[in-house]
Amino acid sequence: MSNNKRKSISYAKWGYIFIAPFFIVFIFCSLIPLVSTFYNSFFENYRDGLTQVGPNFVGLENYKKLFTPDNTGNIQVIDYTVNTMIMWFMGAVPQLVVALLLAIFFTANRLNIKGQAFFKTVIYMPNLIMASAFSMLFFTLFSNVGPINQIISSMTGEVYDFFGQTVSVRSLVAFVNFLMWFGNTTILLMAGIMGIDGSLFEAASIDGATSTQVLFKITLPLLMPIIVYVAITALIGGLQMFDVPQILTAGHGNPNRTSMTLVMYLNNYISTSKNFGMGGAISAIMFIITGALSFVVYKSLVTDDSPKKKVKKTRGAELL
Amino acid sequence: MRNFKKTLALLSSLAMAGTMLAGCGGGGDTATTTAAGGDSADTTAAAGGDAAAETTAAAEGGDSAAAADEGKVFNIYAWNEEFKGFFEKYYTVPEGITVNWIINPSDGGVYQEKLDEALLAQADAAADDKIDMFLAEADYIKKYTNTDATLDVTSIGVQKADTMYQYTIDAASDANGVMKGVSFQCCPAAVIYRRSIAKDVLGTDDPAAVQDAISDWSKFESVAATAKEKGYYMTASYAETYRTWSNNATEAWVDANNNLVVPQAMKDYIAQAKNFMDKGYTLSAGVWDDEKTAQMFADGKTFCFFGPAWYYNFCMGNAQDPEKGCSGDWAICEGPQAYFWGGTWLLGATGTDNPTMLADIMNTFTVNEDVCTKLVKDEMQFSNNTKVNEAVAADPNYGNAFLGNQNDTALFCELAKNIKFENKTQYDQLLNENITTVFVDYFKGTISEEEAYANFYKFVSEKYPAVTVPAQ
Amino acid sequence: MSTATDIQGQNERIKLTAARTGVYIFMILVAILCLFPFYLLIINASRSNAELQAGFTMIPSTNFVTNLKTAWNDTSLIAIPKGLMNSFVIAASCCLLCTYFSALTAYGIHVYDFKGKKIAFNFIMVVMMIPTQVSAVGFIQLVSKVGLMNTYWPLIIPSIASPAVFFYMKQNIESTMPLEIIEAARVDGANEFFTFNAIALPMLKPAMAVQMIFAFVSSWNNFFTPALIISKKEKSTVPIMLALLRSEMNSRNGDLGEIYMFILLSIIPVVLVYILLSKFIIKGVTMGGVKG
Repeated sequence: MSNNKRKSISYAKWGYIFIAPFFIVFIFCSLIPLVSTFYNSFFENYRDGLTQVGPNFVGLENYKKLFTPDNTGNIQVIDYTVNTMIMWFMGAVPQLVVALLLAIFFTANRLNIKGQAFFKTVIYMPNLIMASAFSMLFFTLFSNVGPINQIISSMTGEVYDFFGQTVSVRSLVAFVNFLMWFGNTTILLMAGIMGIDGSLFEAASIDGATSTQVLFKITLPLLMPIIVYVAITALIGGLQMFDVPQILTAGHGNPNRTSMTLVMYLNNYISTSKNFGMGGAISAIMFIITGALSFVVYKSLVTDDSPKKKVKKTRGAELL
Repeated sequence: MRNFKKTLALLSSLAMAGTMLAGCGGGGDTATTTAAGGDSADTTAAAGGDAAAETTAAAEGGDSAAAADEGKVFNIYAWNEEFKGFFEKYYTVPEGITVNWIINPSDGGVYQEKLDEALLAQADAAADDKIDMFLAEADYIKKYTNTDATLDVTSIGVQKADTMYQYTIDAASDANGVMKGVSFQCCPAAVIYRRSIAKDVLGTDDPAAVQDAISDWSKFESVAATAKEKGYYMTASYAETYRTWSNNATEAWVDANNNLVVPQAMKDYIAQAKNFMDKGYTLSAGVWDDEKTAQMFADGKTFCFFGPAWYYNFCMGNAQDPEKGCSGDWAICEGPQAYFWGGTWLLGATGTDNPTMLADIMNTFTVNEDVCTKLVKDEMQFSNNTKVNEAVAADPNYGNAFLGNQNDTALFCELAKNIKFENKTQYDQLLNENITTVFVDYFKGTISEEEAYANFYKFVSEKYPAVTVPAQ
Repeated sequence: MSTATDIQGQNERIKLTAARTGVYIFMILVAILCLFPFYLLIINASRSNAELQAGFTMIPSTNFVTNLKTAWNDTSLIAIPKGLMNSFVIAASCCLLCTYFSALTAYGIHVYDFKGKKIAFNFIMVVMMIPTQVSAVGFIQLVSKVGLMNTYWPLIIPSIASPAVFFYMKQNIESTMPLEIIEAARVDGANEFFTFNAIALPMLKPAMAVQMIFAFVSSWNNFFTPALIISKKEKSTVPIMLALLRSEMNSRNGDLGEIYMFILLSIIPVVLVYILLSKFIIKGVTMGGVKG
């Protein structure tokens, strides 16, 4: 016992050593800039041409400005949060479903899919194109004189203005995001499934479990940590959605700002006038929203019965 | 496992090898265009040991135009290679001086971002790192001319020549009329129309007669109505006429108290664009959209386009396409109002350590008749030298084949006299670029005019905190 | 009894064939969807500037070699191989540092018990939620102060602290690496770095490969930070070169065909790295050690 104790004391040191590089780099590259971001949100601090205005302390003025409703009674920052969430949801749900299906297909021994190497390469390839190049392609594809509209007009005689309707702009943004990221998710899930102890599947098949049972009783529960990871990073990435809608709508979120995302809004403030005051305030709000949503996702996916325990339980059952 | 390690080893050794090649070590040498000319294609060599090379060059530099006590490195900020091309062809760099181009993309505002940072750090920068000259466009030139970051160039020997177009001087001058730079080009713009369509609509394709028919906006609209009846569009973009309106605005976008006031000319433009869209006189395309450029083919149905010489010489590729285009079926006339579009100015940076060379460059591209003639004849530019332009205009053998051999230089000489650079502010760039794209929802009928104004005010308040907008 | 099994087996086989057919059709559809943008890129890279401005076609044109030559010889950029090398140096360094240190940190937090461990974990999770656009500005100011502008260090070093990769490694270790294995494998008194490098890392091979791919690709395609840090031409990365080409579109030198060709060229190295690394996302490595 005393021997054990000494062991854990001497090992604790290694914990610090192992995480030290991460934290040192982190403090300089992220923490200092981050603290200054939040700090800035209490100041008036921007550039007017080449003239620096501020920083002057203004208290919560920037936040007050953000939450002041416009003439129509809408609070912009809430509108843009909603836009972002809608477009994210439209893309993320098919992304997760398709990725999970593909990951299961690829890893299912019984299906024994041929040409896996080809398919695995192909599904990831859209992620290799820069978002800006991707958006450029889709813009020409769906423009009023683009090939999609040539087909539509040859059938109906009318041109459908894809960039003039809220539904179609949001769908296009969601679709481009889906196409760019589902391969990424598939690989994550696939690697997760492959990381599961093969003997569990063997034991299950000896016990005569059906593939559905294997999926719901073994694969999915053991994959839970990775699914949590995928869901949370997809959420964070989704809330930071920027390039695609920015390029497809020339930064305006047309029509009528219905495809304007939070980061596009933030970008409007910091890109031209370096308005770190307002930019900091939006960032702080984004930070709170992301944190709250991630917490909800985390709590709803991670049950009390933690995956680690499950591993041990299954292994125990196997031994019996 | 062994394979994985191998791959890792391969990756890391490649990375290391590359690090050496790319000179990642932080030494940070500059690949430079040396006085000897040529391009910086041989960057690896330059990164190796150009310090030594520079010293030799400097030692050799004896009787050059540069004063002996001036800097050995001339830094120029630009956003593309256009001027660099002319510079390398037509300017002889004094011996012993190295020209260093710092070119950043205009995408995402990177160019102005870097330029601003460098200008703000100019006072503390080492002599050889100081900006000597930078390029700017009409829409944001005021941001720089009205500050101390730019230099009174007449004080270092730049001529405020009579042969320059007045508007190019006005654009480069601050509120007190102090000239901070020059333009090497002049960009009068006109209406470029299809001869065949004009014949069908007006019964004539003669530039004078067509000009007569569209000499003001109400005449322009009635021609649009006739064109519509005959199955044509008057213009291909809702933003086509915008520059003509905005150049002739009688008030500035932002008043003396920094309030945003939408000038009457812009309101008139909005009314016209909405009217044209509703009545089907114009297509619903943006200025640079494919939908518009497709109209430049022979089978296009659009009566006219608005633009300067650089527009049809360099941006109307479809019209010049040998198969589907219609080169020769075009002509130009002044249109409802004279205006200009685009243009690049060279500004002198305060703190330059090469004033002699700076002045020399500016004079070369404005008053050196030899160089200006080459710009007009070989580069299809309309130079900022009235004398040179008029000489070309008077040439009876000159005609632009694209325009059915019309002498466009002669027309531009006339137009350029009427161009004004008035009521401009440092905020114009984004306001001009974005009013049409914000209002497109209104033009298409998706939202009301009030909503469009509200969206525009939102945009301005986000971009320019110093500007007060009406409550929305 | 035996016939019953036969029939059952036959049914199974029919079901399996049907399932397989369905899966193949689904995967082929997905593959077409994924390859379509590349088809467009190749078509566009084969068309001249005028043809591209004229609108869209589905048939390739004849300018492929011309565009390739234009892009290859464009003196407004640095030579393409050099640009690719610059990007490669940054991306490869990032991907090695980021995965190694993330795994190290995740391992440190998972395996050892020490004070403040929980706080450290939560702290990293919180960091993950900050939009990059936000802290970038402060970061650039810092870089400028320490005089590292126009070097690759500020693009490489921060990848050591990649919260998202750390989180993935942590989740992965949690589901695949029971503490008993570490304890069993650990030779008393052995250097802990040795245990990590020789025992834990091999078990994380698929996870490392996955994150190396992602890190490489995101670094390769990153325009935002490099554009603010690099302004010396010979240090340009691929996305900066692309932005410069697009900047040329505002002047007479612009060539859309060249731009598409450049995009195409810039993708090739990433595809190769992906194919190389994806070989290591294979089945059944992780638990090899447990059975023994």
